[in-house]
Amino acid sequence: MQPRQLATQILNFALVLSTAFMLWKGLSVATDSPSPIVVVLSGSMEPAFQRGDLLFLWNRGMNTSVGEVVVYNVKGKDIPIVHRVVRRHGGGKSPLRLLTKGDNNAADDTELYATGQSFLNRKEDVIGSVVGYIPFVGYVTILLSEYPWLKQAMLGIMGLMVVLQRE
Amino acid sequence: MSATTKIAVHSLSDLKNTTDDALPNYLHSLKFKQVHKQTDIRLALGYTAVIIAGALFYFDWKFGWEKSKPYTAPAVIAYFLLNTAFSYWLWFVESGTVYEGEGKTGKIRIATWTKKHIPVYECDVFFTPAPTESNPPQKIRIRTPFTRWFTADGYFIAKPFQQWLASEVPVIGAADPNNVVEEIGRGSETERVLNVTGNNAIDILEQLKASGAKAAPGSGRRRKA
Repeated sequence: MQPRQLATQILNFALVLSTAFMLWKGLSVATDSPSPIVVVLSGSMEPAFQRGDLLFLWNRGMNTSVGEVVVYNVKGKDIPIVHRVVRRHGGGKSPLRLLTKGDNNAADDTELYATGQSFLNRKEDVIGSVVGYIPFVGYVTILLSEYPWLKQAMLGIMGLMVVLQRE
Repeated sequence: MSATTKIAVHSLSDLKNTTDDALPNYLHSLKFKQVHKQTDIRLALGYTAVIIAGALFYFDWKFGWEKSKPYTAPAVIAYFLLNTAFSYWLWFVESGTVYEGEGKTGKIRIATWTKKHIPVYECDVFFTPAPTESNPPQKIRIRTPFTRWFTADGYFIAKPFQQWLASEVPVIGAADPNNVVEEIGRGSETERVLNVTGNNAIDILEQLKASGAKAAPGSGRRRKA
């Protein structure tokens, strides 16, 4: 194969991946959230959200009120948690602090937070409030994270298709 | 020079790709030199975009969202601008160009396409006959069915393809006068070969005999009169 033809096919594959990544980053910039789309991983918010629901987040306008559903990251753990705000402190000049609770959980989230932390810092911990959702379509990612080999298989098939296909 | 691999004759993309691949082979045999400028510009646009995305990915993975945030928006904008330029170049500037080159007889650029489910090779040929400085650039649109150079079982035959190009495109014809044929569709080498087979010779003999038999009574009539 000629070098330019090879370079073109590698480029086609790279463009597929990079476009997906840059669309994601573009959405991140627009919503001001590091992770503007998340998948519900647990049933702690049933019946509002089921496992596998796809949530769209918005992180502009930091004045979160009680009743809003927010997604937050706990320091030292990298799994985002989707829970409802049940109490808020501060705001204005002092940093806004939130207490959250899963609708389906008996107790609030104090135990889930990092050790010594009893409130979420709105600005530092929360990555966005839920503004919309699509039920169930995120289940694919649950499968992908529970069966990691699926990820490699999918990536491999995608790459193979781009390389083998002409037009 | 003819491709020895067999293709599926009902696959339009196979027909087109095989023919496209034969184009540079033929033109290079006529001492045309390929110009890669268009391809190189497209590759440069594409790879610059990919490098920007890769850099952002690395930076984000290494330093996290908060650190990479100020660079994300400019990188995203730059990426999509380059991506748009890339697509524009691919669709509107190159628009199907499979060969661009220059030979002793002039410059040439060939763009090809097919219409969905129609096995006809469509070409736009842009050419400037030598001397390229003084001659105006010209454009012709030529098309012909793939059956002209593909056998029924899917082998590419170079000769009729070359004859077609040489006859239709002046710049190629000037570089390869031996392949220029007067009447399109009749000068194929395969047909010429068929004309001298034994069967054919017998046919011709039969025809001559038949006409001779007819001529005899004719002359007889004349004698009677």
